[in-house]
Amino acid sequence: MFSMGDDTNPLMMLIWILPIILFVFYGQQIQLLVTSGEIKKGIKKLNGFRVNSKKELIDYVKKNIDSTVDPTQKIEQFLDYFTIMPVDMDPNGIVEKVRHTVRSREDYTRNHVKSLSPKLNEIELSRIQTLLEIASSLQMIHKIVNHMFLTAKKQKNYPLILPVQMILPFLMEHAKAMDAAIPAFKTGQPLGDGIGPMVVGKMMLDVEKEIISFQTVLAKIDYKGRKLFLLKAEGPASTVGRPDDALQKIVHDNKIDAVIMIDAALKMEGEDSASVARGFGAAIGGIGTEKFQIEHIATQNNIPIFSIVIKQSVKEAITLMTKEIADQADNVRSQVYEMILENTLEGQSVVIIGVGNTSGVPQ
Amino acid sequence: MIFSKEKTTLAYTIEKCLKCEKLHKRDFSEGDILFAISSKCTFCDGITNIEKIFGEILER
Repeated sequence: MFSMGDDTNPLMMLIWILPIILFVFYGQQIQLLVTSGEIKKGIKKLNGFRVNSKKELIDYVKKNIDSTVDPTQKIEQFLDYFTIMPVDMDPNGIVEKVRHTVRSREDYTRNHVKSLSPKLNEIELSRIQTLLEIASSLQMIHKIVNHMFLTAKKQKNYPLILPVQMILPFLMEHAKAMDAAIPAFKTGQPLGDGIGPMVVGKMMLDVEKEIISFQTVLAKIDYKGRKLFLLKAEGPASTVGRPDDALQKIVHDNKIDAVIMIDAALKMEGEDSASVARGFGAAIGGIGTEKFQIEHIATQNNIPIFSIVIKQSVKEAITLMTKEIADQADNVRSQVYEMILENTLEGQSVVIIGVGNTSGVPQ
Repeated sequence: MIFSKEKTTLAYTIEKCLKCEKLHKRDFSEGDILFAISSKCTFCDGITNIEKIFGEILER
C-alpha cells in the first residue's frame, strides 16, 4: 500500500498537495513575512543613518558655536520642520509659488541657525545649514518608509508593501550617499557636484569679482574678442547660489549671445564615471524653479543655452570629489573655450555658469 | 557582508608650484581649499597653490 514506486501513493500526494494548499491560502502572508524581513533590515539601516546624522550635526554645532546654551533642543525642533508645497490643481503660477516656499524655508533655516550663535561666520553657517538639510532629509526618509511598512503590516496587505520593496533600494542609495557626505561637508572639502564651480572658479582667479545675487559671484573677462560673464556660487561656503537671479540681472543690462552651463549630471548605469558630455539646454538640477527661470530668460531673449556635463553617481556627486572627476577639470575648461569659439563671433558676449555646490571651491 | 572588503576614503591635496609647475601630493588637512596658496615648493624656492583636492578609496 505504501510502496515507494507507486505514483498514487497517498502520503506522497499529501506532501505535494499540502504546500499547494498552503500557498493558495497563505501565499500573500508568506510573501509579506519574507519581504518584511528585508524591509526591516533597510529601516534599521535608515534609522542608523538618521541617528548618526543628528549626532554629527549636534557635535559640529557644539564645537563651532560660541555659546554656553545646549543647542540640542533647538536642533531637534529644526529637524521636524516640514514644507507644505503649494497646491497645483491650477498650475498657473506654480513655479513662483514653489520658489517662494522654498526660499522662505531657506531664509528661515539660515536665520534660525544664525540665532544659535550670532558670531557664526558665513562658511560655518552654510555648513550647519547643509548638515541640517541632510539630517532632516534622513529623518523624513526613515519616517516615510517606516510608516508605509507599518501600515502594510497593520492591514496585513501584501500589495501595499510592494511599492516600499520597489523603492527601497533607490532610497537606500540616496540615504547612504547622504550619510557618506557628512565628513566632506564638515571639513569643507570639494564635492563631485563642485566640478562646475571648480572649472569657472579657476577662470575667475586674479580677476575683480562682485556679488551679483544672493551668494553668487560674477567676474568679467575677455577671451579672443568675446566678453565672458563668469558666474558661480560664492565659495568656499557650502552653497549653490542663485544663478537664475544673476542671469536675469546680466541679461537686463547686457546683450547676451549665448549661455554655457557646466554641471555634474547623474550617470546612467553602465556609463563611465567622470565622462564628459556636451549638449543643449539648461544643465541645472534642484527642484526645477531655477531651471524654469533660466529657460524663461533664454527664451524671452532668444539666447541659446549650451551645456557641458560631467557624469557621476549620486554618491560621487555629494561626497568628496573623486580623483577621476578632479582630473577632468582642465579638460572641461578647454572644452568651454572651444565651445565659445565654435558658437560665438568676435564682439559677442557669453555667460558661463558653473552650476553646483561650491563647498571648498573659492574663486 | 562576510567577504566584502572594508572601504575607506582617503582625502588628498595636490599642490602645484607656480614657478617650476611640479606637483606634490599630500594628505588633506582641515582648512585646505582649492586655489589657495599652500606652502613652499620642495623642489625650488617657489610657492605652491592647491590645484586639486580629491578622495581615493582604499580597500582593506
